[in-house]
Amino acid sequence: MITGFAHAASISLLYLLLIFLIALYAHRRRLSGRSIVDNPYVYSLSIAVYCTSWTFYGSVGKAATTGIDFLLIYLGPSLTAFSWMFLLRRIIRISKENNITSIADFISLRYGKSLWLGALVTLIAIFGIMPYIALQIKAVSTSFYLISGLTGSGINLPVSGNGLFLPTGMLLAVILSVFSIIFGARKLVSSERHEGLIAAVAFESIVKLLSLVTVGIFVTYQLFDGFSDIFARFRAAYPQQFNTLFTLGGDGSKTASIPPFSMLFLSMGAIMLLPRQFHVMVIENSSEHHVTKAMWMFPVYLFLINIFVMPIALGGILTTGSSSGADFFVISLPLATGHTGVAMLAFLGGLSAAAGMVMVESVTISTMLLNHIFMPVIVRFTPQSWFPHLLINLKRLGIILVIFLGYFYYHLIGDSFMLVNMGLISFSAAAQFMPAMLGGLYWRRGNKTGAIAGILSGFLTWFYTLLIPSFSHSGWISSELLSSGPFGIALLRPTALFGLDGMDIWSHSLFWSMLFNISGYLIFSTLLHQDEQERDQVRKFILAYDFERRHQRTEVKRLSKPVTVSQFVSLMTKFIGPIEAQRAIETYHGGRDTGNDSNVSEFDLPNLKRFTEKTLAGSVGAAAAGAIVDSFLSDMGSRMESVYDIFSTVRTSLDQSRESLSVRLKASEIINRTLDLHIIMDDLLNLLLSEFKLDVAIIQLKAEDGTFPVKSYQGSDRRPISDNHWFMESRAYCRMAIDDHLPHFINDTELIANTVEFTNIRSEGIVSCAHIPIFREGEPALGVISLYSKSIVGLFTEEFISLLSSLAGQLAQAVTIVCEMDAKEAERIQKERALLENARVLRDMEIAQQIQMSLLPDAPPEYSGMDIAGRCISAAHVGGDYYDFIHRDDRTIDLMIADVSGHSVGAALIMAEARTLLRAQIGSSHSASAILQNLNRQLYDDLTRAELFITMFYATYNTATGRLSYANAGHNHPMICRSGESSCIELDAEGLIIGVRPSVIFEERSIELHSGDILIFYTDGLTEATNPAGEFFGNERVCMMLSTVGHLSAHNIIDSFYSALTEFCESDTFQDDVSMVVLKIL
Amino acid sequence: MLNRLRHRLLHRMQLRESWVIFFIMGIIMMNFPFLHIFNRSDTIFGFPLLFLYLFIGWAVSICVICLFIIATVQTDPARHDAKNP
Repeated sequence: MITGFAHAASISLLYLLLIFLIALYAHRRRLSGRSIVDNPYVYSLSIAVYCTSWTFYGSVGKAATTGIDFLLIYLGPSLTAFSWMFLLRRIIRISKENNITSIADFISLRYGKSLWLGALVTLIAIFGIMPYIALQIKAVSTSFYLISGLTGSGINLPVSGNGLFLPTGMLLAVILSVFSIIFGARKLVSSERHEGLIAAVAFESIVKLLSLVTVGIFVTYQLFDGFSDIFARFRAAYPQQFNTLFTLGGDGSKTASIPPFSMLFLSMGAIMLLPRQFHVMVIENSSEHHVTKAMWMFPVYLFLINIFVMPIALGGILTTGSSSGADFFVISLPLATGHTGVAMLAFLGGLSAAAGMVMVESVTISTMLLNHIFMPVIVRFTPQSWFPHLLINLKRLGIILVIFLGYFYYHLIGDSFMLVNMGLISFSAAAQFMPAMLGGLYWRRGNKTGAIAGILSGFLTWFYTLLIPSFSHSGWISSELLSSGPFGIALLRPTALFGLDGMDIWSHSLFWSMLFNISGYLIFSTLLHQDEQERDQVRKFILAYDFERRHQRTEVKRLSKPVTVSQFVSLMTKFIGPIEAQRAIETYHGGRDTGNDSNVSEFDLPNLKRFTEKTLAGSVGAAAAGAIVDSFLSDMGSRMESVYDIFSTVRTSLDQSRESLSVRLKASEIINRTLDLHIIMDDLLNLLLSEFKLDVAIIQLKAEDGTFPVKSYQGSDRRPISDNHWFMESRAYCRMAIDDHLPHFINDTELIANTVEFTNIRSEGIVSCAHIPIFREGEPALGVISLYSKSIVGLFTEEFISLLSSLAGQLAQAVTIVCEMDAKEAERIQKERALLENARVLRDMEIAQQIQMSLLPDAPPEYSGMDIAGRCISAAHVGGDYYDFIHRDDRTIDLMIADVSGHSVGAALIMAEARTLLRAQIGSSHSASAILQNLNRQLYDDLTRAELFITMFYATYNTATGRLSYANAGHNHPMICRSGESSCIELDAEGLIIGVRPSVIFEERSIELHSGDILIFYTDGLTEATNPAGEFFGNERVCMMLSTVGHLSAHNIIDSFYSALTEFCESDTFQDDVSMVVLKIL
Repeated sequence: MLNRLRHRLLHRMQLRESWVIFFIMGIIMMNFPFLHIFNRSDTIFGFPLLFLYLFIGWAVSICVICLFIIATVQTDPARHDAKNP
């Protein structure tokens, strides 16, 4: 008996030593930079930590009692692997970016770094995992008894005569604790990756797979003759049991079998949500790319490890004759058949399965415990030099606590539960994280209150309906509670809550806890709002993956007092030790050459703060890290203030701060107060100067010639803008801002002094500047606002720039409006002037018209024996037509008609000149031809100069002789209508148009007029008038008309002609001047 | 022809929807109606029906995952390039 024990104990210890050496080797390799863990195979094997002694021993037990439904525990994870491509990779990416340390960290970070949520998740994990650890302890100690042949529950060691009794379970718990501490908590590290531990787990995974497969092959092919043989023999021996085992819920006892769906659901949740699974899959993941391999390798592992479970179970029943003790068939079967070697291998497999799980689980949970339970308390104290020791010891204590809680549970429950059923209690607890986890990843509205409400109510339901009933078997809780409910209220019986009985306890608990959990989460998330910090996290968790990120996030907070880098280093040292801290700060600086003890420029500090938080998050969790850094800074009197305390943030729509709004409000007041652009610009710049403590502000606006002169210049030390002004050095930036419509800013002129010529600007004392284009969306830039600060480096944060941009946009609006109004005003004035001018011209024209009309004879002279009339109607105000009667003596009258080309004022003037010259000649010349000849000679120069000419018909009539002598200068031929004759006589004489040649000889002709003759002189306006059809009025019509109106007086004849013409043209106005002179011989 | 079919199949498998469809299909196959069909104590070649169904179904699902991964690995370089020009 003792030899068996010594044998088993020594082999176990040797095996554990081997694992330890492997872990040590992996750790060394990692330090030397050649990791053996950083590959997908180790990653897949480490995920197989899912297979614990539950799989190793419990599956066989379950297969032998309830049958094939044990498989669902492995089919669930296999199915979940389908979602890893998206789900797991996203979780990994988020976790890596935020340096997440555990599932509690993950959930609490998603819901606004909530300390409460982190603590709650940790608490659930501790309670939830208790049965699971108990399961391992039970499995290993039972298997140890079997392999060593011991009986009883402890070992008596003969020490100094007195027998010392050691319970195996306790001993095992101690050993496991020590190992876990060695693997996971030897020292405090800044990252939660434990390569040694993972290497050990991967090795154990290989051992447990090999050992179970070996036992399987041994049973299937050594003891029996293959699968079919076992099945056939079992069917023959136990036909009833065969039916039960190979069907689901076949035995009819509903409460014993768990519906496939519950098992599937629980296992699907467990593979991702059990703290140790989250740890190995997410935290210990070294590359996202490993996930794709693990997606099929892990299911294959599960497939292989399960394939012999059923044969072993059946073989066990066939060999031992019953299914009692089926949990340990894996060992008892080889033992019973005398194969101790196989049994020992099986024992080692079981030990591997249990040890791996307990180590990872306890380390994970102790991390959670440290970060989410202890840390929030510790950060309230000022960091001390002994903090690292405290932290590491707290972590060790956590490991011991977790393992001993498991041991305590095992002690309490004892052997009353089967392995699988204990494990399922843990699975149910892990499932409580599912709604908050999935909702957190995909549902934007999911908020902290919802998550806390959901998880808490789910946890309480689980505690009441599953954990408490599990105690009842041990008698620790009176069975009365189960049978009649608390205080005798039957409706509240833990296993039949609200009267829901007839269900197995796992489905029952799963249903109620999920109902309360999901509805709590949904209801509170829908009803309540997220706070600012949560929204920030939602952006990181969800939105970051919905949209492509274009900009690196910049910190929206700034420090009000300078802090040195070394102060940050010493802060980190307090939590992660000096070496790690130094290493961390070196990573932070990377390629950048910043001194360690120098003050960090102000825009670098927020990044350093973020980095410090991230680094600390590795060992204390994100929530605590934030609190530590904040409290550290506040202790130093250098609080992190929200940027908008000084500037304001323009994070559009939802959360504009009051300060930003007030600046915007003031700006729009300025802009709306006046339309004087200069006042607007000056006031706006002064507003910026006073609100943001800037030193100089300049606005340039586009001028008409395309240059950008300075329009407003405010601030200290103003000097006239000249080519030597320091401002000229930033012209290039202004130009860029104008051209690309983007703000350009320099947050530290010192830094760019090497590349850009900034001598004058720097000697002026300017440390930062920004150039904001003034433009409206989709239009060319109107100008640029330039702002200069002499005191603050890193003044122009993203928020500030966007506020300035929006102000520039408002200014652009104002500039555009003012420009438009100016343009409109100018247009109006121009129009008015044009109208005025027009009116003046019109009046002048009217005067001219009057004068011209007055030049025409107002009434025809009276001669006996003849009736004479003349009229002129101008097409425009003034015209070029002219007719005249000139009284020579009582018997002689000169008649003339002329047409100056065109009907402009020029024509009218020429006509006036012609008239003057004509009148002057009457005394000297007598013959018509001589008059025309003189007139041509005198007018030629003027006409040539004015590019005009005159047609004129001149006639002299002697009433005594009745002779009409005439000359023609190219004018339309006057017509004589003789009474009784149908056709008219046209009067023509040789002669050129006046103004064509300097001297022209005009032929003089004469004709004798008789009584009844009607002579008509007319201008081309009459005969060339067109009707809408395009026909001319024409000579024929004039002649015909003349013959029909012969009986009328000369005056009426003209009237009738005009009315006929109006009728013909179908218009009241004429295209050309129309003049007529009618002479009727009585 | 076969090559084109293979290409098209791989292309379809890159879609997120395909993953979801197979995932849901798996859940359906592992639940009441389908399990009920095979929930008999008959044997085929000496193997119990349900045992065969679960294990063969499992193997098939692993093959499907492998197919998916082949599909993504084929296109991953292109996607990678697009992300990091």
